[in-house]
Amino acid sequence: MLSAQFFCSLLTALVALQLILLVVAYGTLLERKVASWTQDRIGPNRTGFSFGQDNIWKALHLNFLNTFHFWGLGQPLADGLKFIFKEEYTPPHVERPLFLLAPVLAVVPAMLGWAVMPWGGQFDFPGWTIGNFQFVSPGHVTFAAAPLGVGIIYILAVSSLAVYGVVVAGYASNNKYAFLGGLRATAQMLSYEIPLGLCILTVILMTGTVRAGDLVELQAQGVWNLLYQPLLAIIFFTCGLAECNRAPFDLAECEQELVGGFHTEYASMKFALFFMGEYMHMTTSAAFLTLLFLGGWSVSPLGLWPDLPAYTAGWAGAGLVLLKAAVFAVKVLLVIFTMMWVRWTLPRFRFDQLMKLAWRSLIPVTVLLMLATGLGVFFKLSPWVYTAINAGVFVLMLVVGPLIPTGPKVNRRVPLAGSRFSPLSTKA
Amino acid sequence: MILMLPVLAEASFNQFAVVGVLLLIAIVFGVGNLVISKLMGPSREGPIKGLVYESGMNPITPARRRFNVRFYVVAMTFLVFDVEIVFLYPWATTFPSLAQDSPLNVLFLGRMLFFVLTTVIAFLYAWRKGVFRYD
Repeated sequence: MLSAQFFCSLLTALVALQLILLVVAYGTLLERKVASWTQDRIGPNRTGFSFGQDNIWKALHLNFLNTFHFWGLGQPLADGLKFIFKEEYTPPHVERPLFLLAPVLAVVPAMLGWAVMPWGGQFDFPGWTIGNFQFVSPGHVTFAAAPLGVGIIYILAVSSLAVYGVVVAGYASNNKYAFLGGLRATAQMLSYEIPLGLCILTVILMTGTVRAGDLVELQAQGVWNLLYQPLLAIIFFTCGLAECNRAPFDLAECEQELVGGFHTEYASMKFALFFMGEYMHMTTSAAFLTLLFLGGWSVSPLGLWPDLPAYTAGWAGAGLVLLKAAVFAVKVLLVIFTMMWVRWTLPRFRFDQLMKLAWRSLIPVTVLLMLATGLGVFFKLSPWVYTAINAGVFVLMLVVGPLIPTGPKVNRRVPLAGSRFSPLSTKA
Repeated sequence: MILMLPVLAEASFNQFAVVGVLLLIAIVFGVGNLVISKLMGPSREGPIKGLVYESGMNPITPARRRFNVRFYVVAMTFLVFDVEIVFLYPWATTFPSLAQDSPLNVLFLGRMLFFVLTTVIAFLYAWRKGVFRYD
């Protein structure tokens, strides 16, 4: 006999894992489609499900499929097959155990991070009896893979582990591009973890709970946190992009300087694991943003009309659980789409700009917001005061930002004439 | 005795059980993909193929050599802030209820303000020392 919560957790975990793998596969296609849409191209639209063997449609008497290409939907499957059949090559100059460990280290935290997401709210599970044997006992369950008490701190803890895959890959490759890419990625992920942590801290301070389900229910009863803390939500989104090594923060793999960055020496499925890790991190980070700021499965941003019930029972309740999961998933997909949109719109940062953005602006601003929220909680102010504080801090940024001393210009001109680098120089 | 086991499992059910299942799935997924592509793909060795890829240049030194001290400084400042944030989590979880109920709420706020103040001083010191210049 299984406990109801364990059964539902397992069910949620297995279904959500499949869906996330599907999102990862079709995320690559969506990424290319968004890119082509942004750049006024058509994008991949030829690969159907025959993978070039068009005579199989003739053999199956489905001749109309010879000209119909399923809008390119076969592309991710073809890519996956190609990765499997490529040579899994380990160069002789690498640190072999670490080199093989790194892709696994990259993909494992990515597959664990989303476990506490409360996809479907709470449900009164009626139990499941097969014959006389009670297979699953009845009980009150939460539709999350793991409804942990530590909640969102678990997501933070697990997704921080992603940095190890990058460090180990960069170190083990014994390649200068990979080494520099690994160093850069590490410095970037460490730096952006601080404002990310402070954002989460501020939300915890405002709501007084770390349980993922409670966070959603609070937002469903009231107003989404996005409206109370808009600036914080934008900072969280930015840090999420940086944590996933996504453009405009993809310095770890900027092609012009570092070829592939930390995965330069990786090929076939080992590279694919890094790639899947990146897309899974995107999914997790989008789901985290949805959970903290966009109200999870909530459908009323201002609480003006009644929201979906948090606690459901019976067959109608099961339908509502599916509906809530669908609402959650749609929000996550919208956030992922925004990430892709940002990637193909903004140019990449320079490394010193990236670090300055984290240390000289995001960290002071989030500390300020955190302290202001703490004082607001202490004086029991209305949550709408936080909106005013966010707007005030934004104005303060605009006023104080230009006054901060910037130090010497980085791209200063080398005084060529008269210097020893000058081709016209008479000295040596 | 067989009937006893599920009861024990029920009693010791832990919310982390599914996380363990997921961890197993993730490790099997990661290692399995490597093994499958090792079995399916071709395998050809060669002296040139085994060279370090550095855009066609002959590699002159091993890659793991001394690097800029800036990265150590980033790691150290990160530690200061991350430990601070970790200490703040329990406070942030309990503070909203303490601020309403406890008579000592001023003390709880004041201690944390002092704690944040020490970190802010450290941050300003590091800024003054040029840690965040990165040029």
